[in-house]
Amino acid sequence: MEIVVCVKPVPEAETRLRVATDGTALDPEAVKFVLTGYDESAVEQALLLKESVPGSKVHAISYGPAPRTEEVLRAAIALGCDQATWIDSGAAPATDPVDVARALAAAIRPVPHDLVLLGKQAGDDEEGVVAAALGELLEVPDFGFVVDLRWDAAGSRFKFRRASEAGLESWEAPTPLVVGLQQAWNDPRTAKLPAILKSRKAPIAKVTAAARSAEAARSRSVKFELPAPRTGAKLIEFKTPQEAAEKLVKVLREEAKVFP
Amino acid sequence: MSRRILVIGEPSAGGHLSGASLEAVGAALRLGGGAASVAGFAAGSTAAALAADFARVGVAEVYLTEEPRLDSAPLAGFVRAVATAIAESKPDVVLVGGTTFGRDFTGRCAALWNAAAATGVTEVTESDGGLRFRRPVFGGRATETREVEGGRAVLALRPHAFPLPAEAPVASKPHPIPLPELPPVLLAPHRAGVEAVTTGSGPALGDASIVVSGGRGLRAPEHFHLVEELAASLGAAVGASRAVTDAGWRPTSFQVGQTGRAVSPQLYVAVGISGAIQHIVGMISSRVIVAINSDASAPIFKVADYGLVGDLFQIVPALTSEVKRVRGIA
Amino acid sequence: MPDFSLTPEQESLRDLARKFARTEMAPHAAEVDRTARFPEEIYRKAYDLGLMNLNVPTEYGGSGLGVFDQCLIVEELAYACGGMTTSIIANCLALEPIILGGTPEQKERFLKPFCAEYQFASFGLTEPSGGSDAGALHTRAQRDGDHYVLDGEKCFITNAPHATLYTVFATVDPSLRHKGITAFVVPRTAQGVIPGKDEDKMGHRASSTGTVRFEGVRVPVANRLGEEGAGFSLAMRTLDQTRTPIGALATGIAQAALDHAAAYSLKRQTFGKPIAQHQAIQMKLANMAQAIHAARLLTWHAAWKIDRGERGTLESSIAKCFASDSALDVANEAIQTFGGYGYMKDYPVEKLLRDAKLTQIYEGANEIQRSVIARELLRAYE
Repeated sequence: MEIVVCVKPVPEAETRLRVATDGTALDPEAVKFVLTGYDESAVEQALLLKESVPGSKVHAISYGPAPRTEEVLRAAIALGCDQATWIDSGAAPATDPVDVARALAAAIRPVPHDLVLLGKQAGDDEEGVVAAALGELLEVPDFGFVVDLRWDAAGSRFKFRRASEAGLESWEAPTPLVVGLQQAWNDPRTAKLPAILKSRKAPIAKVTAAARSAEAARSRSVKFELPAPRTGAKLIEFKTPQEAAEKLVKVLREEAKVFP
Repeated sequence: MSRRILVIGEPSAGGHLSGASLEAVGAALRLGGGAASVAGFAAGSTAAALAADFARVGVAEVYLTEEPRLDSAPLAGFVRAVATAIAESKPDVVLVGGTTFGRDFTGRCAALWNAAAATGVTEVTESDGGLRFRRPVFGGRATETREVEGGRAVLALRPHAFPLPAEAPVASKPHPIPLPELPPVLLAPHRAGVEAVTTGSGPALGDASIVVSGGRGLRAPEHFHLVEELAASLGAAVGASRAVTDAGWRPTSFQVGQTGRAVSPQLYVAVGISGAIQHIVGMISSRVIVAINSDASAPIFKVADYGLVGDLFQIVPALTSEVKRVRGIA
Repeated sequence: MPDFSLTPEQESLRDLARKFARTEMAPHAAEVDRTARFPEEIYRKAYDLGLMNLNVPTEYGGSGLGVFDQCLIVEELAYACGGMTTSIIANCLALEPIILGGTPEQKERFLKPFCAEYQFASFGLTEPSGGSDAGALHTRAQRDGDHYVLDGEKCFITNAPHATLYTVFATVDPSLRHKGITAFVVPRTAQGVIPGKDEDKMGHRASSTGTVRFEGVRVPVANRLGEEGAGFSLAMRTLDQTRTPIGALATGIAQAALDHAAAYSLKRQTFGKPIAQHQAIQMKLANMAQAIHAARLLTWHAAWKIDRGERGTLESSIAKCFASDSALDVANEAIQTFGGYGYMKDYPVEKLLRDAKLTQIYEGANEIQRSVIARELLRAYE
């Protein structure tokens, strides 16, 4: 099976957010970009499928600027991906998710892809749009919020479950398929030290992103704000548990107006 | 400038327009400046019922694809039908509720329609003739305002961020839309079934307007009922910190946090949760946060709006009785 | 000129160690310290990730890292738990004599099967009658045909109760003093190898330390590393390689102490403001930060020299000595910053003091390091 897994360099979870001087984006200064949660789950899923379906290959693809994009691809290789393609966005990567999907689709179309895996959303912009947009652009069915995915060799189809408001939907689908993966159902592996060293020397194919579509609408960030620091809880003074309960219910009703 | 808006109708389990879709109508009425500029879209076997629900809140014009195959087909088919409705109704903006359906819909629809796309939108405004929207990013640790260039946009709204529309019944004006011919590959997947997930007996975590979560401070699984009883009295969903789900007190479907579910209810009550960053990012965008913890230096008090420092084993039962009392529950 | 900006490769190694330390080690550090349990499940994971036999060349199944890269990893591990780190890196010390003094055949025979599985090796130099005076050791190795017969006792041996392989230093003739010392590779399975009980230690309680007795242990001549009498030099060259990472270990403990103290100082209020706003605390934090920065740079500089092929005895002694003395001071000041809470076992800093203390003692007590430093230094004036 030919599996493409799309990954994105995202600031580490512990990153202290700062606003860039133009006020429209995160200040990337001193930010460490890594392969994060949802994408780690997607890579893990790709590797699990590769291990269960003989003859499979996993091709990691990422869109973005140097050097962070190459770094997440090396991380994907260290985890076990066979091949990597870096779509060089130049210094100002597209931020509209459909533009990103177009760049990915252009790179995926010419390579074999029975399955395209992504994290259901990136940990920074949290759009969750790219997988579905890719499905449309590649003319392939897509499913987001997928929690587990197996290949049923006898039936030549994927079997998977998808989280929705109704519960867990069970689906069956042949190739080709685009899947956006929910985080944390699988336990992503950690790359081992020898694999990390080896990944430094692995070849990474580089393609340059095409100019953005002229007829498409898109959005651009005009303001990036951090919330005013929460000043800390207003502590409710009380002598008895009953008093605590009464006072809390009162403020929730009268001050916060959230009490039903 | 008035804009034409198409609201995508998603059926709830009962076959009626979902709460998330109604919120989208609420947002559309505000943005479009009135019902005249808002149209609805409904598909599947319950399309007619959805059209009636649209009419009940003032949306007369509804594009309908009464095609039962769309009930369990992949979204690709649904989106093709929407594309036909878009071609007829010529909207500037397509709005959809921020459910799992809405979020998957957004990417496909925007790619097909060459539109800008965004999810998790909490505010949509006009600015100098341009369309702007706001959305939390980085797990609610920052907010981004974006401007649409080129007119068209598909926006999925964050649950509970927009008001429900008032009742304003009008006569429905349905426009039937045939399901276009679809490439077979798009219809190949099929749904084999749906199983309900155990998220407790109350509402589901993701769309509850109140969430009560328990953490390690409860000390043992047999004390978790304190959280559940408080949640029941409030009509709230039950959540848990990772410490609780890791220890196996409750299944991981209860987990609120970076590796679990992100929630943004009107009210979030954290019981015995110290407030590790991984938990905070999953609940920080709640409107009002209440923390109950015996440790006054617990980081949860930094992000909470109201805090009760004390013994949760005494406070929580007292709170449950007080809530029941004021809500008139025996 | 040394350039201490890390390469992407070094950053990814450090990230691996950091992730392992914070997710696998740190959550268990307090419990393991309290119970003095030897957390095999954590060590096994460290082995699986390639964090255990860092210095063994890759052709023999190790990670093949230089001293600088080892230091990056060791500092991260020690940030989470000094004791676990000691047990995780003890194989490096035990295997270094084979790496430095073994024939290709011996490396193939000992290192390859050893590294292929999760297991421990121990470095047997110190004896009950004295540790740092290595020339005066009592363990005897008497030649008997194509074997040596080993008799004696080693003490304070890291991981000794769990080891499957020992590198043992014994004398073929005590009258020769250090010229009689000879190194051997002794498998745990050899008849007469008797590991003793686990010592109950002040710190590094996740690590295991014990005695090993050798009672008429027959060791094939083929297990001798180098010539008879070459053992002392081999031991010293081994310690030249492994001393610097101990500096990194101490630096990791110190960094943890500073991080705890700084975070606490912003939270804890006295006289109406966070104690971080009191100069008394600011001076402490500044001094701690200076000591840590200096320790780290000394360690990196020594490692850089050694990786260039220099012996680095002076630099590694200075790094180890300074970093370990600093770690004790920094941990001590961290406790002081916490006040009464710092003295309580519910808070993480008292453990750091107990763990830091050992770094002044093991792998050559700091008194020996100072003698070495003085000797190297005076040479320039003679």
